[in-house]
Amino acid sequence: MATRHVIVGGGTAGLNAIRTIRAYDRGESEVILVSAERPYSRMVLPYYLGRGIAESHVFTATPAHLAQLQVQAHLGRRAASLDTAANCLTLDDGTRIEYDDLLIATGSSAVKAPVPGADSPGVHSFWTLEQARGVVAAIREGSHVVLVGAGFIAFTILNAILALKAKLTIVEIAPQLLPRMIDRTGAEMVEKWLRRHGVAIRTGATLTAIEEAEGRRRLRFREGEDLLADVVLMATGIRTNLEWLNGSAVRVNRGIVVDDHLRSSVGNVYAAGDVAEGLDLVTGQPAVHAIEPTAMEHGRVAGANMAGQDLAYRGSLLMNIVEVCHLDIASFGAWDDPTAEAVAAARPDRWAYRKLLWKGDRLIGAMILGMANDIWTTNDVGMLKGLVQAGNGLGAWKAHLRRHPFDIKPAFIASGTTARLLPETILGRPSVPVGQVM
Amino acid sequence: MKVLRIIPERCTGCMRCELACSYVQTGTFQPARSVIRVAPFEAHTSYAPYTCPQCAEGWCMTACPVGAITISPVGAKIVLDDQCVGCKLCTIACPYGTIFYNPETQKAFKCDLCGGAPACAEACPTSAIEYVEAETGDWLGVFAATRAARHHEMQVAGAEVG
Repeated sequence: MATRHVIVGGGTAGLNAIRTIRAYDRGESEVILVSAERPYSRMVLPYYLGRGIAESHVFTATPAHLAQLQVQAHLGRRAASLDTAANCLTLDDGTRIEYDDLLIATGSSAVKAPVPGADSPGVHSFWTLEQARGVVAAIREGSHVVLVGAGFIAFTILNAILALKAKLTIVEIAPQLLPRMIDRTGAEMVEKWLRRHGVAIRTGATLTAIEEAEGRRRLRFREGEDLLADVVLMATGIRTNLEWLNGSAVRVNRGIVVDDHLRSSVGNVYAAGDVAEGLDLVTGQPAVHAIEPTAMEHGRVAGANMAGQDLAYRGSLLMNIVEVCHLDIASFGAWDDPTAEAVAAARPDRWAYRKLLWKGDRLIGAMILGMANDIWTTNDVGMLKGLVQAGNGLGAWKAHLRRHPFDIKPAFIASGTTARLLPETILGRPSVPVGQVM
Repeated sequence: MKVLRIIPERCTGCMRCELACSYVQTGTFQPARSVIRVAPFEAHTSYAPYTCPQCAEGWCMTACPVGAITISPVGAKIVLDDQCVGCKLCTIACPYGTIFYNPETQKAFKCDLCGGAPACAEACPTSAIEYVEAETGDWLGVFAATRAARHHEMQVAGAEVG
């Protein structure tokens, strides 16, 4: 009988696992997908909000595509419980599915700030497609939108809100914008940039309640004036979707603990993406990244191992990039490691700032701010990522980069980083494009 | 497959490759939109063009959340404009710094080997760029390291004399 793989979750991790299984076995095994939603890409929802793309563009696997991959899909169904002793998954409608191996890729959900009124109408999250539809319907030209939370997710929808000609106020509990993505100096630059583009910002502001105010929302704070909003968007954090595993034998720490094969504490149960606590490439320590690139790599490595390969994963590189009003903001690796040697430089005239973090002569993290139309910025974003990813000692080039942090290219090229990177592949073989798997 | 092999010792820094590339890629002569970039070495006494190595992993391609990067018939990783939403994940995933973002079109763009007839190779007057059947490689690493070491020695010598 054919091996039966069950994939729980149709997001980036789950779909990448499926495509990888099929790239290896060309349809020999049985693949069952359980997904609460039709597969789509969360990364592109902001472009749907800004009307840059149609809703149909967000879907990553149509029913025809799934059929072509010979996937038996249970869409609209959620996993309810897992019996690892019986190798059996139970769905929310009572359906029982036996498996040879199973991938947990159930992702995460948005969490609203725990204040009275957070669940009232007019207060939205922007995480799922369903929630995005709600926000698309709510924002009109001239609406006053209050964005609660100034993290990466909030920033990804900032351009779209402005493109809809809405008035925007950002409220953040931390003393700075993007507290988990850039340092204080960078955040001050971003704040100045956004104010210049007409965005009102209130940092260090603790929201205490949201009240109804004649069809609008009144936001109350521990200190300072109330805000009146037409639409409130909460981007105040996420939590992993793991409740359904309660009582199972799968070991969970901050996420599902996985080894370098993406295997959980149960040998034939794998985990990938936001739910998995896997290796961090730079620190070598377990970490939950909850970012798209990690979900993609986890999914592929798990898929390869489920397809019978013996593939070890080096670990994931933390990275984020977001553009607001044509200002690029990116950070990767150990960009906030307080034990690292940090070198920062700014060119305020060009809205450029960067910070390089070192352990010895190895670059272990970087932060970069710059104009999106500044060739320097985009060129260097990639090369800095390459230097952190390759992790090679840069010898005398470290001194060069300390003196000239805006002159990355000669250091990248002359340190032979290209030669180190070229043999590197995630699956130990050339990648296959999405459309050419089967 | 055929790749762009760079022979840096032959490069004179004339920038014709950048002009040819931008003209073929965008219809205008604007080196800022070129996907091959000439880098100076040894205090601008030597030069070498640098472009996408069409790596086996295809970091840009695997990172794309909507499958907007694929492999063309000539083996180049290419951006499908009607699929790209401009999220820039590819620009941070590519460890070579060779995929770019055009703020005007709001799309990523990169070397597509001009569909099998690379304009840069054709325009290069000294054959520093060849389009040949070969394994892709690090064409500039040793050249750049040598030039940098030489420059450093001269600076040290100059400081001693001065």
